[in-house]
Amino acid sequence: MSSKPRRKVVWGHLVLLSVIVVTVIAYLLDARGVSTLPTNLLLIQPLSIFALILAAFILPGVFPRKDAAKEPVAGETRLELMRCLALIAALGLLAFTLERIGFDVATFLFMVATMAICGERRWWVNIGFSALFTILLIYGYGTITPFPFPLTVL
Amino acid sequence: MIELDAVSAAFALLSSDLSAWLYLLPGLVIGLVFGAMPGISITMAMAFALPATLYMDFLPAIIFLTAIYTGAGFGGSVPAVLMNIPGTSSAVATTFDGYPMARAGRHNEALGVALASSVLGCLGSYLMLFLLIGPVSGLVLKLGPLEMFAVAIWGMLLLGSLAGTYLARGLLAGAFGVLLGTVGFNSAGFIRGTMGIPWLLDGVPQIPAMMGLLAASQLIGLVNTTYLITDESARKISFGKTLSGIRLTFRFPWVIMRGSIIGVLIGAIPGVGSSISNLLSYSETRRNSDDPDSFGKGNPAGVIAAEAANSSSEGGAMGTMLALGIPGGGATAILLAAFAMHNIVGGPSFIANNKDIVYALIFSNFAQAVLLLFVGLGFVYVASYIVRVPLHYLIPSVLVVSNFGAYAIEGSAAGPITLWVFAILGWAMLRYGYPVAAAVVGLLLGGLLESNLLRTYQISGGDYVDYAVQRPGALIIFALMLGSIALQAVSKRRRASKLSAGKPE
Repeated sequence: MSSKPRRKVVWGHLVLLSVIVVTVIAYLLDARGVSTLPTNLLLIQPLSIFALILAAFILPGVFPRKDAAKEPVAGETRLELMRCLALIAALGLLAFTLERIGFDVATFLFMVATMAICGERRWWVNIGFSALFTILLIYGYGTITPFPFPLTVL
Repeated sequence: MIELDAVSAAFALLSSDLSAWLYLLPGLVIGLVFGAMPGISITMAMAFALPATLYMDFLPAIIFLTAIYTGAGFGGSVPAVLMNIPGTSSAVATTFDGYPMARAGRHNEALGVALASSVLGCLGSYLMLFLLIGPVSGLVLKLGPLEMFAVAIWGMLLLGSLAGTYLARGLLAGAFGVLLGTVGFNSAGFIRGTMGIPWLLDGVPQIPAMMGLLAASQLIGLVNTTYLITDESARKISFGKTLSGIRLTFRFPWVIMRGSIIGVLIGAIPGVGSSISNLLSYSETRRNSDDPDSFGKGNPAGVIAAEAANSSSEGGAMGTMLALGIPGGGATAILLAAFAMHNIVGGPSFIANNKDIVYALIFSNFAQAVLLLFVGLGFVYVASYIVRVPLHYLIPSVLVVSNFGAYAIEGSAAGPITLWVFAILGWAMLRYGYPVAAAVVGLLLGGLLESNLLRTYQISGGDYVDYAVQRPGALIIFALMLGSIALQAVSKRRRASKLSAGKPE
């Protein structure tokens, strides 16, 4: 008799499904809190219930058997996953700091960080390309769009 | 149907006014460049050019804007094929097979196929517009909210066939997208799901969300890849292969014809347009194919179906705009704004009194489509060099440009923040087999579905069945919808039995 568990947990999938379920429930409760009139809930309520039923159907897939068909991400190393997460973090920092530290500084720092994350090890190439790209983008995009991008240096 | 006097007056108008032709080429080039830039949509390209048309005569101004429309329509397919980034929602289905073709080193061929399909789709749609502008305008006028709801539901259900391996995950992605698409004010005045964030009152910013789900999520997934195309020999640029892609397109006349017809019909429906037509055409082509499993893995017929439909939607949307004065989307709304800038009101009276101008616009679009073949060929050749760029340059650059685009569209950090949130969601969905396209289309159609359902509820007083019986058009659409789902089920079963029969013992 084997001591190995017959099922495993796909943690990433569990997190994604939880986020979807929590969002749907929170949205439905919020909508019901606003009004229970049909003109408010006509689409949202039945569709939310449908989505929750679907999530219940999907849930067993989060705990597949050990011998089940592998998920698309099977074979990914921890380092590769960390790179993805680092890129996500850099993108988030860019989004939240663009207006505060200026588009020029935020873009340059993002370029340097993400080029390093993506594997560019030659620091002079990294800094040179990032600086050049930032200048070209700020002046090029600034020319074609009417929006005033907040800048700090350029 | 065709008024020959007006046709000859249109020829006279175009041959006497050289300035009308002068703006064709710049318009196409501007459209191609803007359309190919991630984060800049057709609408934005036309909006940027709109002030320039103030000092032009009416006809050259409209021709200039429609040239941008045509150019950007194809331009959007370039990043769709090369980087899996659809410039607009109308190029979503182009990514399904265009990008796998590029990943397999067939990027030149894929771009050639996309170009030829765009040109043929555009030509076909304006030919249909030329012949059918009268009857189409009458038909579109009869569409009520129930019909609009039925069309939108049809588009959503069709995603079931695009859902890939896991049907439940596909449906959940679509439902989740629709729910997110209803956040903010609904047409009855209720505010839901904004979490107290003011910029969510108008709903989730759709374009940044779409860019995050479809583009940034893919780029995050590519962080561990060195080149867009891994095989170095496959990264070579070949003019000959692009031409062979153009030739290859002519081997799929039915796909082009079906795509063009779907594109014109769906494009003519306000608010639906090319974002649905490319998916519908793709789905129908896959369903009718002898080898449906090859779709999504680099089948050129998928690219042809999507591009023929999205480029022909322009003709349909122009038909509705010219005949009814109703913009089908952002691009035709800008055209209507250009009409207004020249003190001209689009709609039935315009078409009745200015048939010569309408036909002149149609003829100039024939010329645009032909010119696009040559201009686009040169542009494709240049744009193809992008696959030679190592990804550690491309990923940060495209992400930054997308952020700039998201900021420019929203005019605040709401754009980049939305892009980031949906990039994470899209990345996670891709990892676990949830079709991102289903969520995107759901997000785009959420508001449309709710407002039309609401209008139907208000008009019918809650008695849907009685109301539906009085709307034969809606019943026909529902019947077509059920028919297409049944056909899909039959073809799936047939495919499964074929597969099991073909399996070795």
